[in-house]
Amino acid sequence: MTTRVSDWLDQRLGWRAVWSALFLRKMPKTNWLYTLGSATLFVAINQIVTGILLTIYYVPSPDQAYDSVQYITTQVTAGWLIRGLHHWGASAMVVLTVLHMLRVIVLGSYKYPREVTWFTGIALLLIVIGFGFTGYLLPWDQKAYWATTVGTRIAEVTPLVGNWILRIMRGGQELSAVTLARFFGAHVWFLPATLLALLGLHLFLIVRNGISEVPTREEE
Amino acid sequence: MSESKEVQRRGFLGLVTWAVGVLIGAGIGIPAIAYIVGPALKDEGTQEWIPVGTTSKVELGTPTLFKANIERTTGWIVNQEEVSAYVLTEDGRNFIAMSNICTHLGCRVRWIAEQQSFFCPCHNGVFDKEGNVVSGPPPKPLDRFDVKVEDDQLFLKEA
Repeated sequence: MTTRVSDWLDQRLGWRAVWSALFLRKMPKTNWLYTLGSATLFVAINQIVTGILLTIYYVPSPDQAYDSVQYITTQVTAGWLIRGLHHWGASAMVVLTVLHMLRVIVLGSYKYPREVTWFTGIALLLIVIGFGFTGYLLPWDQKAYWATTVGTRIAEVTPLVGNWILRIMRGGQELSAVTLARFFGAHVWFLPATLLALLGLHLFLIVRNGISEVPTREEE
Repeated sequence: MSESKEVQRRGFLGLVTWAVGVLIGAGIGIPAIAYIVGPALKDEGTQEWIPVGTTSKVELGTPTLFKANIERTTGWIVNQEEVSAYVLTEDGRNFIAMSNICTHLGCRVRWIAEQQSFFCPCHNGVFDKEGNVVSGPPPKPLDRFDVKVEDDQLFLKEA
C-alpha cells in the first residue's frame, strides 16, 4: 500500500530523484567540524518557527511592546519556552555562523569551485547580525532601548554619511515609535525574505558542487 | 557478510535519525499548540461583586437598567468596561438581574414598556419580563447575574 502510494507520487513528482540528490549524495570522508553549517541551519529553522509563534502575541508599539513580551513570558502557556528558544537561539545563530565560517576559512572550503557559496555565506552572516541587531530592540526594555541608542550612534560615526545612516535607521533623529516599527518590519519581513533567498542559493550550491574534502598534508 | 552488516548499520542510523527528528518535532510542536490555544482556554470573567447603586432606584414590577464600570484584563491590556443589567423586583425585597445581551447573537436588548417585553433589534428576538424567550430566534433565556443586597446597596456578580 505504502509503496503504491509512494510510486504513484513519484511518477508525478519525481521526489525520489530529489530525495537522493539531497540526502543520498556522495560525500568525502570528513569530520564533525563539517556539521557546523547543518547546525546553523537547524537553529535557523528553530528561529523561524519560534519567531512566527512570537508574532501571535507581540505588538510592536511603544505602549504595548514591553507588556506584550511580559505577557508572553509570564502568562501564555509555554510562552517562556518559545521566547527562551528564540532568545538563546539568536545567540546560537551568531556563534554557529561564525564557527562555520572559521571552519570554511581554515580548511580552505571557499576555494574553486565554491567561491559563490562563500560570497552568499558572507551575506548570510551580515543578515544574521542584522537579525540580532533589530531583534534586540523589540522587547522595548531599558537594555533594548539603550543598546539601540548606542548601536545607531556607532553607525553615525561613519564619515560623511553618518548622520544620514542614523536617521534612516531610526526613522528620524530620535529613537521612537517609528524606530520600533521599522526594526520590527526589518526583523520579520525584509531580513527573513533576504535570508531565505540567499539560503536557498547557498544550499543549492552545496548540493550542486558537493562539499569539499578535508585537505591533506602529503599533496606535494 | 560485511555488506549485509553495512546495510543493517545504515538502516539503523536512518531509523535513529527519523526518531530524533520526530522527537524534536514533538518537543516543539506540542508546546507550540499549547502556546497558541492557551489564552483561549482562560476564564476572563470577573468573580467579584460589582456595586451598581441603591435598591430604591429599582421600580417595582419594571425591569430597570443599571450600569457599572469594571476593570477587565484582556491579554496585557486593562480595559474599563461597562456592565449593564436589567434588575427586576416585584416586592422590593427579592431581586433578579438579567444581562441585556441577547442570547441569539449578542446584540443588546431593550425593555419596551408598552409591550411589557424585552426586544432585540437585530433579529426580532422577544423576551418576557423575567427574560424567558417569547418569540424569535434566541435559543435560551437571558443570562442571570447573582444579586446581593447590603444596606440597600445592590451588588451583582457574573454567574
